Amino acid sequence: MAKKGLQTTDKDIINLAKIVGEKEILFKKADLLAYDCDGFTIHKHLPKAVVFPNSTKEVAEVVKYCDLNQLPFLARGAGTGLSGGAIPLNGEVIISLVKMKRLLSVDLENRRAVVEPGFVNLKLTNSIADKGYYYAPDPSSQYACTIGGNVAENAGGAHCLKYGVTTNHILGLEVVLPSGEIIDISTNGVLDLPGYDLLGLLTGSEGTLGIVTKITVRILKNPEAKQTVLAYFDKVEDGSQAVSDIISSGIVPAALEMMDKTAIEGVEAAAFPVGHPKDIEALLLIEVDGISVGITEQIKQILEVCKKRNVREVKVAQSEEERGRWWANRKTGFGAMGAISPDYLVQDGVIPRSRLPEVLARINKISEESGLRIANIFHAGDGNLHPLVLFDARKSGEIEKALAAGSECLRVCADVGGTITGEHGVGIEKREEMRFVFTEREIAAQTDIRDVFNPKNLLNAGKLFPSPGRCVEVKKEMKNARETFV
Amino acid sequence: MSLRENELKGEPPCHTNSLSNYLWSDPPDEHKWADCVHCGLCLEACPTYEQTGQEQHSPRGRVHLIKSVAEGKLVVDDDFADPVFVCLDCRACTTACPADVDVGGLIEEARGQVRQAMPLKGWKGMTSKFLLEGLFPHQSRLHSLGSLLAFYQKSGLQKVVRKTGLINMMPKHLVEMEAIMPAIGIPVQKKYKEQKVIKAKGETKREVAMLTGCIMDIMFSDINQSTINVLTKNGNDVSIPKNQTCCGALHVHAGDREMGRKLAKQNIEAFKDAEKVITNAAGCGCMLKEYPELFREEPEWHEKAEEFAQKVEDISKYLYDTGYEKPKVELNTRITYHDACHLAHGQGVREQPRDLLINIPGVEMVHMPNADRCCGSAGVYNITNPEMAGAVLESKMKNVPEDVEMISMGNPGCMLQMAVGVEKYGRNQKIVHTVQLLDWAYQKEENERGNNGEKGFAND
Repeated sequence: MAKKGLQTTDKDIINLAKIVGEKEILFKKADLLAYDCDGFTIHKHLPKAVVFPNSTKEVAEVVKYCDLNQLPFLARGAGTGLSGGAIPLNGEVIISLVKMKRLLSVDLENRRAVVEPGFVNLKLTNSIADKGYYYAPDPSSQYACTIGGNVAENAGGAHCLKYGVTTNHILGLEVVLPSGEIIDISTNGVLDLPGYDLLGLLTGSEGTLGIVTKITVRILKNPEAKQTVLAYFDKVEDGSQAVSDIISSGIVPAALEMMDKTAIEGVEAAAFPVGHPKDIEALLLIEVDGISVGITEQIKQILEVCKKRNVREVKVAQSEEERGRWWANRKTGFGAMGAISPDYLVQDGVIPRSRLPEVLARINKISEESGLRIANIFHAGDGNLHPLVLFDARKSGEIEKALAAGSECLRVCADVGGTITGEHGVGIEKREEMRFVFTEREIAAQTDIRDVFNPKNLLNAGKLFPSPGRCVEVKKEMKNARETFV
Repeated sequence: MSLRENELKGEPPCHTNSLSNYLWSDPPDEHKWADCVHCGLCLEACPTYEQTGQEQHSPRGRVHLIKSVAEGKLVVDDDFADPVFVCLDCRACTTACPADVDVGGLIEEARGQVRQAMPLKGWKGMTSKFLLEGLFPHQSRLHSLGSLLAFYQKSGLQKVVRKTGLINMMPKHLVEMEAIMPAIGIPVQKKYKEQKVIKAKGETKREVAMLTGCIMDIMFSDINQSTINVLTKNGNDVSIPKNQTCCGALHVHAGDREMGRKLAKQNIEAFKDAEKVITNAAGCGCMLKEYPELFREEPEWHEKAEEFAQKVEDISKYLYDTGYEKPKVELNTRITYHDACHLAHGQGVREQPRDLLINIPGVEMVHMPNADRCCGSAGVYNITNPEMAGAVLESKMKNVPEDVEMISMGNPGCMLQMAVGVEKYGRNQKIVHTVQLLDWAYQKEENERGNNGEKGFAND
């Protein structure tokens, strides 16, 4: 652990160490290797260094240094992102924000809290739970992911059906621009400020416009009552139809989640099994919340809908402990795939709910043709699909096949009038697929905006938009692989 | 440049084949890391990630590096050894992991490779050799050390050393440890030397064998005595097989898997005839259960180890499962419970010791937040990595409720470390083993029964 002085002659490392301190910089290969990817593991690249600033000022100084010396750089939180947004494709200096993890203030009266970007999502809810409040966006990685990362990706979660995604909960940001200048774009709670909606622009910009160093978020009062239903279906069509029926009956559930047979196999083989039957085609996890009056009625309606759609078994959680187990099983679903496959690629398409059965059938076909299993875990209520393409990177050609199959899934989503990402971001993974949903001109309009903030493109270059050059080989292989099965 | 050349020059994302830089037998098991999909849900569970915020000191990062060596991207050197040895081996990541990745197993296998590639040299090597090879596996030497320590305490020498400042010649963390050294009693191995079986009080319901442990029987022989007391009280005949030895956990944690195997074989043989092997030290119990891991390359011993592992049970789980007599007298005290890592994360034993404790009348249990967070003891980690161990202990102590009189737990390493914490942060809790509290309750019951009897007699 103990470093005896900096063992390097690299002047950039020495200078960056002067800003953050000698203990707060990594540059040895073994240490850097741990930063060569995030939750998206298909592309890997070593960073030049990793720095751990402790304040906005230090972030700004690091950024200024990089800008002045033409060093590419990017920000990283917990590295749980699923589209590769924090992968140092160009050998970036990684600015890790995990040391900036303080909860700066909680203002219950005005229902907001101020956090630093490295503050872990779930910790916010945990710190205010005893007072009856919570932070709504709940990505499945909320045990580990940081709110800074959530802002970058405009993260969603199981409960965004009713409560909206991260952007609906951000009230203010302090941002270090790629030039090193610090700006504050807080609204102080005013809903419609004059001028452009910079908060909206920055949230979900995937770390390409600036580095967020302070975040004001909205916090909510805990709902008075909450009920959770688990329903097992023998046919995917019945499950999908039940989803449509519930929404069209006028109920807005807090969450409406679905898992298919392969996904159930995964979560049941992993660390948090619930005991779901292995032979069902689909399960729904439905949660309603709000004021106590009316909840029972909603649950009754939901049970009726499920029965009408030939549910095999449907039950209401009898305790908080049971509800907790159902959610743990669902929320660890991605990681659980490790129990049935060495690698997975998760896709993040969005489709109109009514097209669910058709899309699932087409994804099934992609799975058959590619020879790769595809598990489906998704936020069915808002049509946000997560096909998980299971593969083994050790087998030659499987990565390319998986990428191609994933891309095909997104093409299907775009075809039926949906889009290519609901909450995971574009990152590296879906750059090419941006073309499924945007014209060249529409993409150019966006890169023009990026260039205003990030004119030298030193900050997180090569992400979010299609660009020629890098990864040509993989793309070619992908194309070949696709041609063999499409 | 052709596409093919490009492919050769670029780093393929993941191809293991024969590129591995693990050059010795018993390397980290590919199947273990194949379960890891790099999701990162383990990060917040890891005490060293909490302290450093650095990915290479996280479970996911360590698994990634261990895999990288097998892929030929990294070699086994100091830079690799650092993250692998900074791990506390607390297994909290195993609990957090959705895919049940055996991070602990990978770490230990990697340590085995590191120690073979770079044997410890200098004073570190000598200390390690002296403790791990020269002392822990030898009962008689341990007993002599015990007598020596008892002499140190009782002769007044301890006072002299402390008063004269002679003690300050030792590094700070060792001074802290000396300060909390428990009073040394007679090892149960010695005490029951002549007895083949310690008979149950009353009718014999079951027969068990007991692992006395190396450090446990020297530093905490009173806990071993309590364990025997609660076992016999609940109808168990207890035997203490003579040829048993140190469980080898400290050796395996330190990367000396060869010595680990040697000790494992000796224990497997020593407990050959036992139906149940009872431990009261979480670290030992976990190691015994993991003996099969050591014999991946020796099928015959692997089978024996599997069979042996099935017989091993922590005392609290054993009492809970077989049913125990609930004490009838009150021990009026407020306590809290600390989950030893190798009990909670390592063996999944969480409810059973709590059940034992709350069933003692008059014991009020106060919840400790993050009770299953490592205390930093981690075998001899607090001696080898004092800085990190100190930081981990500090955050543990913040979670100990103010208004309790005792902290109960099921592992001797934790007991020493938590005692250091209590001393260092000016707290006043007594550190106790779960079975001690149960034993005290039984004893109080017997004493009162005795007194009542006398009273009754007098009143007649």
